[in-house]
Amino acid sequence: MGAFNTPVPSAIWALSALALAVALFLPFVLPPFHLRLAQQILLFGGMAVGWSLLGGFTNYWSFGHTAFFGLGAFAAGLLSQQLDPGLAVAVRLLIGLVFAVALALVAAVAIAIPVLKLRGIYFAIAMLAFAEILGEITKTFDAFHGTTGFPLPALTVPGLTKVQLFYFLFLLLFLANIAVFVWLRGSRIGMGLTCVGQDEDTAGMLGIPTERYKLVAFVLSAVLAAVGGVLYGFSLGFISTGSVFRIDISLNLILYSMLGGIGTVLGPVIGAAIMIVLTQVVLGDLLDLHMALTGAVLIAMVILAPKGLIGLLRQVWTRRRPAMEEGAS
Amino acid sequence: MTILAVEALTKQFKGLRAIQDLSFAVERQSITSIVGPNGAGKSTLFNMISGYLKPTAGRILFDGREITGMAPHVVCGLGIARAFQIAKPFPELSVERNVLVAATFGRLGPRDPQATTDRAIEICHLTAWRHQPAASLSIGNLRRLELARAIAARPMLLLADEPCAGLNETETREVIGVLSTIRDSGVTVLLVEHDIKAVRRASDRVVVIEAGRKIADGTANQVFSDRAVIDAYLGTAGA
Repeated sequence: MGAFNTPVPSAIWALSALALAVALFLPFVLPPFHLRLAQQILLFGGMAVGWSLLGGFTNYWSFGHTAFFGLGAFAAGLLSQQLDPGLAVAVRLLIGLVFAVALALVAAVAIAIPVLKLRGIYFAIAMLAFAEILGEITKTFDAFHGTTGFPLPALTVPGLTKVQLFYFLFLLLFLANIAVFVWLRGSRIGMGLTCVGQDEDTAGMLGIPTERYKLVAFVLSAVLAAVGGVLYGFSLGFISTGSVFRIDISLNLILYSMLGGIGTVLGPVIGAAIMIVLTQVVLGDLLDLHMALTGAVLIAMVILAPKGLIGLLRQVWTRRRPAMEEGAS
Repeated sequence: MTILAVEALTKQFKGLRAIQDLSFAVERQSITSIVGPNGAGKSTLFNMISGYLKPTAGRILFDGREITGMAPHVVCGLGIARAFQIAKPFPELSVERNVLVAATFGRLGPRDPQATTDRAIEICHLTAWRHQPAASLSIGNLRRLELARAIAARPMLLLADEPCAGLNETETREVIGVLSTIRDSGVTVLLVEHDIKAVRRASDRVVVIEAGRKIADGTANQVFSDRAVIDAYLGTAGA
């Protein structure tokens, strides 16, 4: 009770279970190159879903999500370096992860209080600046080794290659992002956030604690991004400011969401899959064209399908259905 | 019994004093109307009661508790709902979902959102549009949606901001009928309205304000025979 109840059809559950089974099976059949693509789709598609916790329901579009991604990577990386090398890498990763999550939580609450008072484009720009500032800090102060970079301990699990291992870790994070999104959407908070996206002042007047709900979504979104950063850092094995504080990560999360359909679960994943395959496979050798392609896709989507591919499909579907019903009668 | 008391309320916008030392009280289970020419400060007053604007000075007491300067969602949680003059629906949500939101949030305490939603939609004659997105409604229907949503918030006090503006005679009667139904169900209504005929028909009490000050306060008949009120509306007869 206390939410829009749109029951999930059993067909969707069945398809999800099937997709999960396939996903669990893939690492044992795909060649490493393709598995690496799948890794990226899981990591960044999942993070785009996490970005949508706030940006998907409301028009608070964070243009600086890489702030939390980088924060997570640096926090866990620097700490795991300091820990006793005698400790198992998995333990060091876990301790680093807990530290990164705690730090992201504190940072997210601290930054949310001022920036969530800003609306629309001002919020977007403030987040962009926040990410830049964090990136600059890691470069300016030697303690962070942002310019030179630093190595992270290599995580290994017997029986799995490195690509397979991180594929499974990214899959886990992907599922966590999806689970949090689906839970939020079905909750009172999701209902309240949807109303914030439609008209924030009216939402408040109807008794929705808008500030609190935005904060919850923002913090969840930030923490999940930080976890992404931790895992990504360990998968790289060596990080610097340039590898984790990347504006293209921030922008891609938005692009994936827009391309697939903002506010849907599957949209950002589809968007990520399309863009990653396009840039890495089709234009694999033409690095210079990636940004141009990204821009072109963005312009095309804004003009032709502002609600993304899923929005487009829904539109076609609802247009066809009444016609079919008339035909039947 | 007083449900709302406004005491020496003042709102200063840079150079303009929109509300000046305004005091009045609203009796429980009444329809009280605030009338006054354009720019008299009626909307500013509503904005302060509902928590959207903070007063410069003065106090607002609701149900014995001071609510001056509280956030809108807190005020709503205590039991004050507002229907806007310019309808502010959630455009992409259906009529039902618009109302369901108010029924899910709104005044704190036990609630049955679906039952409240059904009743509010019925009282406001919106059943036929239930599943349509709010953006597709006509002005008259939007006004009633605005009311339905405010009712679904289960208020003790309903602030209705010009619910009849731009409506024809039949629609006006319908809205006034809805307001009377709401009053009879135990809710107090504070109404801002320009349609004097509608105000006379509906109100138990009328407060007249001009340029941010109260100039009359009494029953509809008393107030509309008052010299100062006639002057405010029709202008003073020269020489």
